[in-house]
Amino acid sequence: MKYQIVVAGFGGQGVVFLVKVLSICAGKKGYKFLGTENHGMSQRGGSVSSHIKIGDFYNPLIDLAQADLLIGLDKDEAILNLPYLKRGGNVVVNADEFPEIDANVFAVDANKLAEEGVFDAKGLNVFMLGLTLARVKDFPFSVDEVKEAIEEINPKFAPQNFDILEKAIEYGKN
Amino acid sequence: MKLTLMGNEAIAYGLLHSNTKMVSGYPGTPSSEILTTVQKIKKDLPVYAEWATNEKVGFEVAYAGAIAGVNAAATMKQVGLNVASDALMSASFIGNKGAFVLIVADDPGFNSSQTEQDSREFARFARIPVVDPATPQEAYDFTKLASKISKHFEIPVMLRTVMRVSHSREIVEIDGNFEFKDTEGNFERDIPRWAAVPRAGRLKQAYEQLDRLDKIREYNYNELIKPKIEELKGTENLIISSGTAYGYVKEVLEELGLDIDLLKIDMPYPLPVDKLKDLVKKYNKVLVVEETYPVIEEEIRSENVYGRMSGHMHQIDEMNKERVLEALTKIGFYNGENIYKPVFTPENPKTRKPNLCPGCPHRDVYFAIKKVFRPKKSIYPSDIGCYTLGINLDAIDTVLCMGGSVSMAHGFAIADKNKTVIATIGDSTFFHSGTAPLINAVYQKAKFILVILDNSTTAMTGRQTTPERATSGEVDIKKVAEGCGAEVMEYFYKPDINETINFFKEVKKRFDETDRPLVVVSRQYCVLDKERATQFLPGIFATVDEEKCVACDVCTTQYVCPPMAYNERGKIEIDPLLCIGCGVCISGICPTDAFIPREK
Repeated sequence: MKYQIVVAGFGGQGVVFLVKVLSICAGKKGYKFLGTENHGMSQRGGSVSSHIKIGDFYNPLIDLAQADLLIGLDKDEAILNLPYLKRGGNVVVNADEFPEIDANVFAVDANKLAEEGVFDAKGLNVFMLGLTLARVKDFPFSVDEVKEAIEEINPKFAPQNFDILEKAIEYGKN
Repeated sequence: MKLTLMGNEAIAYGLLHSNTKMVSGYPGTPSSEILTTVQKIKKDLPVYAEWATNEKVGFEVAYAGAIAGVNAAATMKQVGLNVASDALMSASFIGNKGAFVLIVADDPGFNSSQTEQDSREFARFARIPVVDPATPQEAYDFTKLASKISKHFEIPVMLRTVMRVSHSREIVEIDGNFEFKDTEGNFERDIPRWAAVPRAGRLKQAYEQLDRLDKIREYNYNELIKPKIEELKGTENLIISSGTAYGYVKEVLEELGLDIDLLKIDMPYPLPVDKLKDLVKKYNKVLVVEETYPVIEEEIRSENVYGRMSGHMHQIDEMNKERVLEALTKIGFYNGENIYKPVFTPENPKTRKPNLCPGCPHRDVYFAIKKVFRPKKSIYPSDIGCYTLGINLDAIDTVLCMGGSVSMAHGFAIADKNKTVIATIGDSTFFHSGTAPLINAVYQKAKFILVILDNSTTAMTGRQTTPERATSGEVDIKKVAEGCGAEVMEYFYKPDINETINFFKEVKKRFDETDRPLVVVSRQYCVLDKERATQFLPGIFATVDEEKCVACDVCTTQYVCPPMAYNERGKIEIDPLLCIGCGVCISGICPTDAFIPREK
């Protein structure tokens, strides 16, 4: 199997954490993978994106029009990274609205939900991953596999992250 | 044993699994995690893994270990090799007893560097072997290979990684039951070797160096290249590649369904040039795909060899598959469509400029400098670090290299006497390369202001401790500046813009009264440094009184804090997820006092 994911956000949103989760998932299933991060000189607030290539690949960068899935932790960063998406690909994005495109777009204003107290804003990355699990049919990993990976990275925060993940999945299904 | 590893982490494991006993260097993206990972995974092993004040020092510390017989390594980014090059050029003649691996991380595409250099070229320039990994797995394997070659042939060997290896992750197979073999260093006097002088000693070493290179060239062919040549099918055309470029080519050939022989070069220098030229003759056309300079292409150039020098391959910027496809089209290997052309192209996408973190004290200092030392009457040289991002406040006029701000301040002060020169530099950068030019300026009586932004950490590269912080008061930046002979003022930063502005008014008065460099040591903190920052951040979160906001642009163009942006009503709003509660904007950034504390 081959699956290419772009995660787009800004510094501080936990883009790299998602790379780690997905890379551990791939490892557990015996899939080959390569992933890389794109960021400049900023630490907080600057553009950050990650490319994750699951399967038989040889370089970590996803080229234009190649990604199966775009996870956007921020609306503007998601729009900026649209050129990587293939026709008919999937977009799961933190946004109140999103451009009409020839792709499966699932937009949720997660910022608003965080403000309303549905989940802790610091867990936005996990919430978006939960939405992805709920809504993207061909996503290569299951909820349990994601939970195992989250626990492996940081057992201490695992219960909070599980809670956020489950809330996202519940929200995504409704 | 399988681990999910970043390339830099894989290199660190490779170092340990080569019984590397000493590692030194200087942090810089994309190399920084190598040494920090060694520090982390060595646990109780007797391994010296410490940052140096600069790359030259780190090279020399580690190299002395290799002369004394222990396996050693130096780590740095590509521009750091420029700093260490003096030592490297000499070391390549002298060689080593223990292994000496020089790890250099290149940054094709200027992701976080002021230049785009190819350290393989530097290895050729220095006449040392270089290995060029393509993936984190190869980063691990090639680190061990480099150590083995270096020990056996007694010559420094470069491990040349790039951003897409260092900052990529992969499941890496590493030695599961590795036993670290501790060795005692034992310096053996050998003056003709370790202290060879011109002309006779160095001349002799030069011939020995050529002999070593011939043997390594042979090793390269027999052990690394020949087995790969034997696997070629003998198609009409050939592609030769190296490092990460190989991965792009391999994927493109598969995705385009092209049947073209692909030869991967693991050691781009020294190459068995004659044998490669013989191979090249067997093909109709040969395309060389490499990053960043045409190192291999230059060595094997023939009339049927194409690449960057022939204009078929792009000249500048990072590799991608579209560029490989374009080269294949140009050379005539492919005449189909461009499958990497975007399907979706956003109209007017909003881009984020790189910026200082929300609440960063650097921002306040730059803001205050510009208030007191107005642009028309000032020159603002700066340097390499997080604070370079002060360029967003139009508070930086020049960026050259580590320490360049101080030397250039001196030069500007001499050349343009009608302006006040006020330079900025970080504490780590000052220790890296700022002290020598300050001494020079004091000695030559140049008059300028040097502001040292002392947050006692190298923030941009992951908050490694600086000499000052590591030795707890023993090295004090104020005493160092005074020791250089400069006049020194100290500011203990507060998140109150009026305090900072008033301090710089005092600086102006003092500067008018002196005839030599005036150094300001601004004692600050990094907001990412949780340990220190929480002591200073008051927790005053901001919002905007829209009735007071007149959309004057001062906050978005002169203060430029990331949470600040215009909303649909044309008024400034603060992103609550980005605001860290420093309260500075409330303290007086806005001409109409539109920033107010947020209740929640």
